[in-house]
Amino acid sequence: MEEYLNKGIKEIITQFPTVADILNEYNVGCVPCNVGTCLLKDIVEVHNLPPDEEEELMVRISQAIYPGREIKIPKVERKSKAGRGEIKYSPPMKKLVDEHVLIKRLVVLIPRIIENLNLESEKGRRLILDSVDFIRSYADKYHHAKEEDILFKFFDDNLDILKAMHQDHEKGRAHVRAVIEGVNKRGKEAVKEHLNGYRELLSEHIKKEDEILYPWMDRGFSIRQVGELFAKFNAVDEQFGDAQEIYERLINRLEQEFNLKLSSKLGTK
Amino acid sequence: MQGFGGCPGSNMQDFRGKEQAAQEETGKRQSQLKQWPIQLHLVSPMAPYYEKSDVLLSADCVAYALGDFHKDYLKGKSIAIACPKLDEGQDTYVEKIKSLIDDAKINTLTVMIMQVPCCGGLVSIAQQAAQQAKKKIPIKSIVVSLQGDILSEEWVS
Repeated sequence: MEEYLNKGIKEIITQFPTVADILNEYNVGCVPCNVGTCLLKDIVEVHNLPPDEEEELMVRISQAIYPGREIKIPKVERKSKAGRGEIKYSPPMKKLVDEHVLIKRLVVLIPRIIENLNLESEKGRRLILDSVDFIRSYADKYHHAKEEDILFKFFDDNLDILKAMHQDHEKGRAHVRAVIEGVNKRGKEAVKEHLNGYRELLSEHIKKEDEILYPWMDRGFSIRQVGELFAKFNAVDEQFGDAQEIYERLINRLEQEFNLKLSSKLGTK
Repeated sequence: MQGFGGCPGSNMQDFRGKEQAAQEETGKRQSQLKQWPIQLHLVSPMAPYYEKSDVLLSADCVAYALGDFHKDYLKGKSIAIACPKLDEGQDTYVEKIKSLIDDAKINTLTVMIMQVPCCGGLVSIAQQAAQQAKKKIPIKSIVVSLQGDILSEEWVS
């Protein structure tokens, strides 16, 4: 079993497909991950399941790998103290979670944006480009830069979980490039496809970070590191000036626009 | 044993029946105190050991209640101690903590208090100072029980 603890999860699932169902049952969301290079032992540690559930999960995985054999379950080492109950973030991590809230508000609007997509009018194109500006300036330069340039630097670059996060960011950037290209070529289908792709990617990505990655990181931080991280994030906030307020206003405007449209539609029925 | 009603901060309690640690400790434990003075009225925020440090603001009684205070909480930090119930001139405390944040540019502030209600005043003093300070820093509050257990540990700003 020790051997499989040090194997990438995708490799294990490919070899033993029932492991995917077992992981899903325990809300370990690694199955749809395109990267899948995280090691089984890291996944078990990062997800911080209660000890009895963790043991049960390991027994079931070992039964899937070695059916009919009694296998000794190795203990998964924890680098940090496990917490229980509601997630409590340290102030710098709370800052990132709060930024996610604004990003999620745009993600929620994407189906509405697609529904009302009109690339023939200046106003219609402006709507997409404003959304793209939010994604590029706020979600990527402001928020993802805090993660990539500051937060992730506190950890080993070779961690598979960080590689997976980097890949998500890159995929998001590729979707945005494709949306812009679609707008320029008046390619409605391409814009729809890549806005949807971005929505799906970011919904999963944010969930992974809020519920799994950030709490795991927080559990391992020393008080010194929390202070340093907080100071570095504050420096980025100062550098970006009133980015938070500007983009909050944009999201408020978009929400208002679509809510108004929705209520006018409802009114006509 | 528990006696008298009234203020939980001065309510008599007897812990003599508490089970002693099964293992006898051997050897000397090194002090983690790296400065003097430590009382909040006496310390200077300009002292070099505060500069960019992680500061522990501890209620006077905490170190007596918590068996591993030095090893688990004081190690690696600068300290100031105070009693929010008995100390006079607590306005000065707000100013001093504010100066620690803005002038000494401390990295974090951990406020350790006892579970008795009057001890909560120390967290309020720290929060008041933090609100008045220009620089923003993370502040953690740790509440210790009368018998030395950690009751809560949370970020308060």
